[in-house]
Amino acid sequence: MSQMRENSASESFSATVTIMDNYGLHARPAANLARTAQAFKSEIRLISGDQTADAKSILDLLSLAAGRNTELTLECNGEDAPEAGETLLKLFQDKFNL
Amino acid sequence: MRPDQKMTTAGRRHLITGVAVSSGIAIGPAQFINRRDNAIIVRQRIRPEEVAAETARLDAAVETLVREFSEAQAQLRDQAAKGSRESREQADIIEAHIMICRDPKLLGLARSNISEREISAEWGWEKAVQEMLAAFANIDSPYLRERAADLQAVSSRVTACLRGNRLRLSAHTAPKIFFAHDLTPADTLALAPENIIALVTEMGGKTSHTGILARSLRIPCVVGCPGLEEAVIDEALVIVDGINGFVIINPREAELAEYREQQSRFSLYESDIRKQAALPAESVDGVRVSVYGNLETSRESVLLKEFGGEGVGLYRTEFGFLSRHNLPTENELFEDYRRIVEEMAPHSVVLRTLDAGADKMIGQRQRVEEENPALGLRAIRYCMRHQDIFRRQLRAMLRASVYGNAAIMFPMISGLSELRLAKSILSEVKQELDNEGTEYNRHLPLGSMIELPAAVFVAEALAREVDFFSIGTNDLIQYSLGIDRGNKYVSYLYQPLHPAIILAIKHVVDMARQAGISVCVCGEMAADPYSLAVLLGMGIDEFSVTPRLIPFVKNLIRRSDVAEFRDLARQVYRQNSAESVLRLIRQNIYGRFSGELSFFAAMTGSEI
Repeated sequence: MSQMRENSASESFSATVTIMDNYGLHARPAANLARTAQAFKSEIRLISGDQTADAKSILDLLSLAAGRNTELTLECNGEDAPEAGETLLKLFQDKFNL
Repeated sequence: MRPDQKMTTAGRRHLITGVAVSSGIAIGPAQFINRRDNAIIVRQRIRPEEVAAETARLDAAVETLVREFSEAQAQLRDQAAKGSRESREQADIIEAHIMICRDPKLLGLARSNISEREISAEWGWEKAVQEMLAAFANIDSPYLRERAADLQAVSSRVTACLRGNRLRLSAHTAPKIFFAHDLTPADTLALAPENIIALVTEMGGKTSHTGILARSLRIPCVVGCPGLEEAVIDEALVIVDGINGFVIINPREAELAEYREQQSRFSLYESDIRKQAALPAESVDGVRVSVYGNLETSRESVLLKEFGGEGVGLYRTEFGFLSRHNLPTENELFEDYRRIVEEMAPHSVVLRTLDAGADKMIGQRQRVEEENPALGLRAIRYCMRHQDIFRRQLRAMLRASVYGNAAIMFPMISGLSELRLAKSILSEVKQELDNEGTEYNRHLPLGSMIELPAAVFVAEALAREVDFFSIGTNDLIQYSLGIDRGNKYVSYLYQPLHPAIILAIKHVVDMARQAGISVCVCGEMAADPYSLAVLLGMGIDEFSVTPRLIPFVKNLIRRSDVAEFRDLARQVYRQNSAESVLRLIRQNIYGRFSGELSFFAAMTGSEI
C-alpha cells in the first residue's frame, strides 16, 4: 500500500522499549497495545530488526514474534505523536496492564 | 507472480481439459466453492459503481461479528466478576478476536482489494486474510501457528456474515455448475443436490469421490483440471463436457449451439431408456439377470428405485463417518442402515464395512503418515487396528438386519486369516447381542470383496468361508495392472479387458461356482457393453452399478443372447492381448448393440 499521509502538523517520537512480559508480545499484550494505539491519530510503528509492524494492527504485532527481553524501537509520527509515545511507553513499563 | 496477474479478464474464452468422470453435458453459470472452511466464497468481479456498496457490506459484516463477540464477551466478564478464571481467559481470547476483526491493516487490505481489483467483498476479504496468513507462515513458532488459526476462525465467521448479508441472494438459490479446488464428501453433502448442474474440480482422478457422487446425481463431472481457480469467475457461462473432459469458460456462440444440440439428443436417448427401467433384465434367450445399485447414502434409495434397481449391491458406509468431526454413535449408524434396509425391503442390501483409509479419517483418529495410502492402512486393515469402530459398525448392521433383507460384506480382504479374523469379531459381536437379548438376522449372509490379486489366487479357500463374492472391478484392475487410473501418464494402460483381468474374474467365478456361492460384479466394468458381453458369457448374473447406469445395463441385457456370449467368452479366454480381445468382441457385439455403443461409450466415459 502506497498511501501517503499528509503530515503538516507532524511531530515525531522515538524510543527504545523492552518487552518484559514473560511470554513476549503474545495475543493479550498485543491486543492491549493495538487498542491503545488505535486511540491516537499518529502513525505508530514498532521496529524489531528489519521488521516493522503497524502498532494499531494486532496481526502485524503478532507477526513480529517478539519474545521476552526483545528490544524494539517505538516510532510515532503525527499531530499527537508525543502523547501517543508517552502513553505507549508507560504501557510497556506496566507490562500491558495484565 | 503478482496476485492480479492470476485473474483473467471477464469474458475471455478458456478451454481446460480434465478427466471426465461422469458423463453428460451441462451449460450454466459457475459458482466457486472454497474448500478450506466449506464456505461458499463469491469470487465475483464487480463494476466500479458497486465498490462502495461492497465495501459497506464488508464493514457491516465485520460490525455484526464484533457485536456478536461483544455480547458473548459481556456475559463472560459477568461470570469472571463472580470469580470464574476460565471465563476471564475466554473473554480475553474474544478480545483478541475482536481486535483481529477490526484490525486496520487487514481491513485496509480488504478494502483496497475491493476498490482496486474491483472484486466482491468476500473475495477481497479472503485475499486480505491470505496475505496476512502468509506473514505468519514465515515464522516458526507453535504459538503463532495458533494465532493463524485464530485469524482463520475469525475470517470464516466474517465470510459467513457476508453470506447472510448477501445482496444478490436470488443468484445463489438457482442451479449452478460448482467449481472447487477439491471436494470432500462433507463439502458435497453441504450442497443441495437440486442446485448442482455439474461439478468440476482442479484435483482428483478417475475414482475420486466427487465422480461417484456426480454419477449418482446424474450430473456431468470433470476432475483434474489444471488452472481452474485462475480461469473461473463466479457467474461466468460454462459448458461442462463430461464426455470428453472439456470445461469451456465463456464459450463461443457456435460452441454453445452445438453443445445445446448434443445435450438434447443425449437426454432424449436417456429418457427413452429410462422408460423401460422397471422392466426385468432378461436376455433374448431367457436368462434372468439381477441389476443392483451402488449407493453412497440412504437418501439415494429413491433414485435407485426410479432407475429400476433391484436392490443395493453395495452400500458404501464411509459417508456416515467422513462428513463429520466426531465418530458416529452406534445408534446413528443403526438408524442409517435401518433406513436403507427397510426402504429397500424385500430387496437385498449389501452393507459393506468401512472402506476408508487412515488418510480420510481426520479428526477421529490420529493421522498416520503413509507413503502410499492405496497400499496402506485402509478398509479391513483399518478396522482391524481400530476394532472399536469395526465392532460398533457390525453391531449397527446386525441390529438393522431384522428390518429387511440385509447382508454384510468385508472390503479389501487379502487372505484367509484376515477373513477369519474379521469373521471371529463378527461372531463375538453376535454373541454380545445374544447376551443382551438384542435381535438380529441369524441367517444374515456374509460376503467378501474380491479386489486384490491375492484374493483371486486364494479364492478357492475364501469361497468356503463366505456366502457370496463381490468382485470390485475398479480396484481389481488397478491393483492387478499396477495402474492408477487417475494418473494421466499411465491411465491409457487401465484396460478392463486385459487378458489378466479376464482370467482373474473367470477364476473367481469358477471357484465360487465350485463352492456353490454367488458372485456379483460391482463397478463400472459391468456398465461397459464390451465387458458386459464377456461377463454375461462367463455366467455372471448379478451386477451392481451406479444407479444412473442401471437402465442402460438392463437395456443391454435385454438385447443380449447369453448363449452366444458364452461362445464369445470361450474365444476371449484364448486371446493374449487387450487389443485382440477388443477386436474380437467388437466383431461379435456390433450387430447386437449397434446404436447403443456410441451412447454407451459416452455415458461411461469409456474410450472404446
